[in-house]
Amino acid sequence: MPSLTLLGQSVISGLLAGGMYALLALGLSLSWGLLRLVNLGHFALAFLGAYLTYHLGTVYKLDPWLSVVAIVPCFFAIGVALHVVFVRFRVSEFTSLLVTFGLTVIVESLIQWRWTADFRRYETAYATASVRVGPLFVPGLELAACLTATLLALATWAWLRFTYVGKALRASAEDPAMAAAFGINHRAQALLLSGLSAAYAGVAGAYVALIATLAPSQIWAWVGVVFAVVIIGGLANPIGALGAGLLIGVSESVTMAVAAPAWAPLVSFSVLILLLLLRPGRA
Amino acid sequence: MLLEAHELAISYGDAPAVWAASLSVEEGEIVSVIGPNGAGKTTLINAVAGLQPFRSGRLSFAGLDLSTVPPHGVCRLGIALVPEGRRLFTRMSVEENLDIGGYRGEARRARALTLERVYGLFPILRARRRQLAGSLSGGQQQMLAIGRALMARPRLLLLDEPSLGLAPAVVEQMFDIIRAIHDEGVTILLVEQNVAKALKIADRAYVLEQGRTIASGAPAQLLEDPRIQEAYLGLREA
Amino acid sequence: MTERQRALGGVLSAGVVLALFPALGMPAFFESFLYLIFHWVALATSWSLLSGYAGYFSFGHGAFFGAGMYATATLAGSAGVPFLWTLPLAGLVSAALGAAVGAVVFRVKRLRGELFGLLTLAVTFVLATIVLNTRIDGGPGVYLNNVPVPKLVASPTGTIYLLGLVLALAAVATAYLVAHSRFGLGLFAIHDDEDVAEVKGVPTFRAKLAALALSAGIAGVAGGIQAIYVGYVTVGETFSITVPLYVVLMSILGGARHWLGPAAGAIIITASLYAFTGGESAVLGRAVVALLLILVILLLPDGIVPAVLAWRPRSRAQAISAPGSPVVDNAAAPMRAPAVAPSSPASSGHMATDRPASADHRWAPQRPRVGGSPGVSSQSLPVAPLLECRDVWRAFGGIQALRGVNVAVPAGEIVGLVGPNGSGKTTLINVISGHYPLDRGTISLAGTGLAGCPAHQIATLGVSRTYQIPRPFAHLTALDNVALAAAFGPERATTAAARDEALHWLEFTGLAHRKAMLPGQLNLHERKFLELARALAGRPRLILLDEVLSGLNPGEIANAVALIRRIGERGATILFVEHVMQAVLELSSRVVVLNEGEVIADGDPREAMRDPLVVQVYLGKSHVA
Repeated sequence: MPSLTLLGQSVISGLLAGGMYALLALGLSLSWGLLRLVNLGHFALAFLGAYLTYHLGTVYKLDPWLSVVAIVPCFFAIGVALHVVFVRFRVSEFTSLLVTFGLTVIVESLIQWRWTADFRRYETAYATASVRVGPLFVPGLELAACLTATLLALATWAWLRFTYVGKALRASAEDPAMAAAFGINHRAQALLLSGLSAAYAGVAGAYVALIATLAPSQIWAWVGVVFAVVIIGGLANPIGALGAGLLIGVSESVTMAVAAPAWAPLVSFSVLILLLLLRPGRA
Repeated sequence: MLLEAHELAISYGDAPAVWAASLSVEEGEIVSVIGPNGAGKTTLINAVAGLQPFRSGRLSFAGLDLSTVPPHGVCRLGIALVPEGRRLFTRMSVEENLDIGGYRGEARRARALTLERVYGLFPILRARRRQLAGSLSGGQQQMLAIGRALMARPRLLLLDEPSLGLAPAVVEQMFDIIRAIHDEGVTILLVEQNVAKALKIADRAYVLEQGRTIASGAPAQLLEDPRIQEAYLGLREA
Repeated sequence: MTERQRALGGVLSAGVVLALFPALGMPAFFESFLYLIFHWVALATSWSLLSGYAGYFSFGHGAFFGAGMYATATLAGSAGVPFLWTLPLAGLVSAALGAAVGAVVFRVKRLRGELFGLLTLAVTFVLATIVLNTRIDGGPGVYLNNVPVPKLVASPTGTIYLLGLVLALAAVATAYLVAHSRFGLGLFAIHDDEDVAEVKGVPTFRAKLAALALSAGIAGVAGGIQAIYVGYVTVGETFSITVPLYVVLMSILGGARHWLGPAAGAIIITASLYAFTGGESAVLGRAVVALLLILVILLLPDGIVPAVLAWRPRSRAQAISAPGSPVVDNAAAPMRAPAVAPSSPASSGHMATDRPASADHRWAPQRPRVGGSPGVSSQSLPVAPLLECRDVWRAFGGIQALRGVNVAVPAGEIVGLVGPNGSGKTTLINVISGHYPLDRGTISLAGTGLAGCPAHQIATLGVSRTYQIPRPFAHLTALDNVALAAAFGPERATTAAARDEALHWLEFTGLAHRKAMLPGQLNLHERKFLELARALAGRPRLILLDEVLSGLNPGEIANAVALIRRIGERGATILFVEHVMQAVLELSSRVVVLNEGEVIADGDPREAMRDPLVVQVYLGKSHVA
């Protein structure tokens, strides 16, 4: 049995890793839950954001926080454009999975063509920042990612819960015809949501660049875990995504400390499988 | 004339559900549309509410041709629907459902006032305002559906089979409330399978059978009309 | 030569030609290239057996492939089993894995579509982790270079080439045979509407399980061969996203529902990727392939092969005679002659008039219709009802849809089921046909209890139904829609016999000239009659009709009523839900009136509709004027 300190440290790193999962899961959870479209391209978009942050940072010496400001609006536009295509071709929920599968491969290939398959690390001054809590060590960037995830999750939840637009989105997701009967323009709302979801991907991507090592193949490494988080947390449930992310992060981390590191992925996928089998209904 | 439908033909999918329906509603009236099941009543009222496009004929509201209005634009004109089967947003709370009802700009501005009115009409909804709509009983759900439509501050209220699935005592209550709403100045178009109830409350009525308006007029006359018996019971007087 | 002989013959000849290639001394890279094509043809074709045919898109084909690969690696590499023996074992291991996954997953009804895809993807990751962390691999991978490759031909690579070829041929042949079998017809029906397929008699759970196991088994053998081909097996390479991704791409590109589709897709994609090998082009090559996939999904949703086939001018005269009126108005058809449609001589298949009106087109044994009040028989022997519902209760959410319903339908009668909206009529039909289970009570068909039976078994016992809004199988022709019911109904006909039967019923309903069309090309009236033909095929003992007449114009209603009467005259037992009252009075010998889940009247039609309680319920007043 590992020491208390080691366990404590693994809980910390688990929470922080979980925050990263949640950050990635937020946009996906929203678009899948409210638009009924499975956007596998979310991951490719996040990684594109990561590579752009890296590029702007290393080539143009642009501070990552400024890069985000530039990237997010562009990604919003991309999200809107993507939804326009989906509507134009009347893409169904399942077809969207296949089409975005293809999009992810295209983006991955483009990334590899531009930046090669070599592993890249975005070294910044922030990387060394950390906070000490007793014997435990909390890396600054990961903490920032986790805090951003929490903030975004809460803000999104509040937006969905309390604003007219948020309520309209939830109503449209359940019964678009009846929502329209009360004046809700589903088309416009869907575009907004798609753009927002892509913007979230951009934010997540910036943190990926700061925290993780980048390689085109890494896109796929996150797919399984994040889908697990989305489903476990419940579709269109931002707080659920946050909670599920943290939960998965901690269980993986503790498994790694207690058993062998290689067993970690088993946790999230087994939970996912059990949940799919046992939970009644979706979301 | 507030609402006018002339020789409307509506296809449901590609199933022609309405062939030639004509009716008119003056401001301030209660008009009932009766007819046996499968006659096309719901399809007709859905077309008025904008849920269902129509193939041919004319449909106008306050002089405006409704064929030019997109589905989400109908509510803004002053038409609100209480659909068959309620169709509440079951995953949202009672108050959130009411908020959706009052989504359109003009209604939003008067939200507080209208909400008070609705809660006054249906005290049980105030008591359960934070409960999920899906957890209410049948009668309560019907009240919520009506309340939701009232939040839109409509000029014309469309009611599709409000008595469906409700106990007789609750149905009585429902029709009293409908009368009360009318007394406050709302024009009502009511679709109902229950002939007696529908005719008792109406100023005028139409009979729809197999997609066509086959009769119209004063309720008292229609009640005795043998065509209604034939339509509902299949019995033809020898 | 029949089509089957032609198709299989074509595959075999291609195989023979390809088998001779190594002997012709072709360059090694070409042999390798062809092996890869065989490899992907086998993998993609096996994937489509479940995912293409039945529509359960699996993203976990890599798990079965990997299981086979590691089975061979372990058996041949570590345990020293002769390589050739490991191949069937690899297939068995994978098939068992597939069956195990299916046995669990297919029991959960809502795990379809994207959830099934995700679950299979998760299974792959779990398997990979287990393999990585146990002695099967443990991390360093498994070396197979010490494993002797049997020398079937001159070189080891030639042997591998041949093994790959044989597997590819076997996979394609299997795909062809399945697609043209009754099993395959069931899978295609599951793809379009699983619930309806189940109600028509397809044992959906068993069928999906069999398809998954077969699919997994072939993938396993492909894995086994691949293990020797690469010589060094690692978890990373084996369980990567490549296999699941590519088989989906290839099958969709080529056409997942066609037996040659995945093979065509495999050839196109493998060739394209090979053309792009080396350096930057490989990367862009993948992007181009992905773009191709997207375009095909959006523009040619059925894939390339079906699109190409659709362009071909029809070689055989599949003449569709001039539409004319959709239904033959056979006034008072004599009881014994089957209906004759004025189809042109060009309509293929035998003419109905050729066949003598024989007893096999009637329901046997039937009793003469019992007139008068129900329950009192004028015969000396008591007539046991064919269908008996006793004290049936069923609730939905908080609503009690059926409260202690008692209905008895004697054999050979037409009974109308009426009642206001929400009275429980359709719920009763759904419960009898097995769509929903009962809460309480019993339902029996000629003494056999139906409650608790899976819907497909109820269909086999002889209950069939129509749907108020027609639910035909969208990708099957009208003929196949009806043939399915015949193939899985009480008579369990072979595919050929089922198609004959189907043609008969299409003629009966006047749709023979539409037999090669898809349901989407029919109008509502024709789709309703297709529903009817589908309900009749297979000679059910009890036919449940759910609002057949809704949405029809008066002329069409008259036709439909005449048709139903003819069915009744053949001795069929019919329980039908209807709102068009005149039709109910014309057709039924008895009427049952439901209100709020209870039976409030049961008897002679006219008497029932005059019953004060019934009038009250419908009109709100207590007497008829």
